[in-house]
Amino acid sequence: MIDAKRRAIALGGGLAALAAGLPAAFAQHADHGMPAKGTDAARPDLGATAAFDAQGVLWAAHKDGGYITVSRSADAGRSWSKPARVNNSLEATDMGADSRPKIALGAGGEIYVTWTRPLGKPFTGAIRFARSLDGGRSFSAPVTVHADRQEITHRFDAMAVNNQGQLFVAWIDKRDGVAAARAKGPEYRGAAVYYAVSDDKGASFRGDYKLAEHSCECCRIALHPQDDGSVLAMWRHVFAPNIRDHALARMTPDGRPGEVRRVTFDDWRVDVCPHHGPSLDRDADGRLHAVWFTQALKNSGVCYGRLRDGGVDLQRRVGGATAEHADLAISGNRVAVAWKEFDGERSRLRAMISDDAGEHWRERELAATPGASDHPRVLARAGAFHVFWNTRREPLLTVALA
Amino acid sequence: MRTLCKFAGAALALLLAGGAAADPVNIRPFDAGSMSAIRAQYAGKPFVLAFWSTTCEPCRKEMTLWRGLKLRYPQMPIVLVSADGPADQAAVTAFLMRYNPGPVQHWMFADEFSERVRYSVDKSWRGEMPRTYFFDAAHDAAAHSGLLDRRMVEQWFRNNTGRH
Repeated sequence: MIDAKRRAIALGGGLAALAAGLPAAFAQHADHGMPAKGTDAARPDLGATAAFDAQGVLWAAHKDGGYITVSRSADAGRSWSKPARVNNSLEATDMGADSRPKIALGAGGEIYVTWTRPLGKPFTGAIRFARSLDGGRSFSAPVTVHADRQEITHRFDAMAVNNQGQLFVAWIDKRDGVAAARAKGPEYRGAAVYYAVSDDKGASFRGDYKLAEHSCECCRIALHPQDDGSVLAMWRHVFAPNIRDHALARMTPDGRPGEVRRVTFDDWRVDVCPHHGPSLDRDADGRLHAVWFTQALKNSGVCYGRLRDGGVDLQRRVGGATAEHADLAISGNRVAVAWKEFDGERSRLRAMISDDAGEHWRERELAATPGASDHPRVLARAGAFHVFWNTRREPLLTVALA
Repeated sequence: MRTLCKFAGAALALLLAGGAAADPVNIRPFDAGSMSAIRAQYAGKPFVLAFWSTTCEPCRKEMTLWRGLKLRYPQMPIVLVSADGPADQAAVTAFLMRYNPGPVQHWMFADEFSERVRYSVDKSWRGEMPRTYFFDAAHDAAAHSGLLDRRMVEQWFRNNTGRH
């Protein structure tokens, strides 16, 4: 047991006041004073992401000392630089569940970082952005990406750079649900996916463009840039009445709304927060491959499949009964999937690789840890795969996947 | 939201008027040993064990359900466990203040190695929430992921309290 706190956690005066019959007044007061999540500097949150730049340098965005930081590795994660601060003032960050800071790299060495800053009320947030144009030596002052400044849900940021160098940031947004509630209309199903685009390497953003209504509220969004400059987004949707399968749509640089397609068909009918978003990539022949999570009766667990119109090819279960948080990357027609699996004592980092676009697979075990860990990320670089896994025992662990 | 807060206030006033004897002041630390401790505490008795988190929208709605059930079936133990991490105590407290589930028992994850804690509860639980377990007197547990159906839950409460 690393840090089990055996003492009872005493609440402050708030609940005592509540017990005295003042909940409404106190709840309103709490809106402004609600301490945000993810501010424990001594034991930083483990949420982290990483990406290779064009020169093969690996960059990671992660928390350190309460700050969002970026670390650099010139040897694919064997050694890391001292973390550089992205935000110079302490800022609460949403790191729970499926939320973590994101990093993306421009072709000219630009380093882009986004994260979600929780606001006062539960479920609310703002998508924050900072960039470095000098190789991580300094970062711009963080800005809020979206034009909408209501104290509502803007969370689960996702970021991608297209082949024109345009930067896309997508997020889960509840403005439509809030508007429906204000209009006293029927309850809005789920949330929506919005995005913004930057044409000037993050100096400014334009948006907010609505990609789709009725997304699920608490899962990460998977993005994949296309050759035509658009960026595909895949997310957990809420198909009527409450089917939490996945949808795919194309974000275009001009913000034109695109068609929303259903791409998984497990028929998981539930009002739940899975905290378990998908991952998406494309092979050399243009086929889309994904991993996702469902608890539908017919397909319970983590799933892999090749997406096509109206169905999924080669769908299969990934890992054992405790498998979770899979990620996927593709190089040519080689597909790599990594996930973690708890065995009663340790979390094991496992992977499966296909050399023929998902037809046949071989499994490997890559690492194990006796403590807390983040979700693994699979990175493809120059025909090779690496799995990035931030663990308490081994921070920013990166394993080559042969 | 304002309506919800007003309703919360009204329900709480009712509870207090009824003299409900629960202690909402303590959140106990839930770790890999807590599941067996809770089962021992309610040996031979039915109870409800419900996991939730501050990042879970349906969990918010369920707080109202627990409050109503506790009012109607005060003898049935309802144990709520926040699966937020140890660093999120303040956010958990604020959430409970805001959405007030009534005089039920509170715990929260006290181990950042959440896989280990979940495994001690149920090897097949992948962290989705709300996740609820209905233990009958023999401690045969029925698990449910997602927002509960009020009528089904009320039926279970009637069956397991003998009160109609």
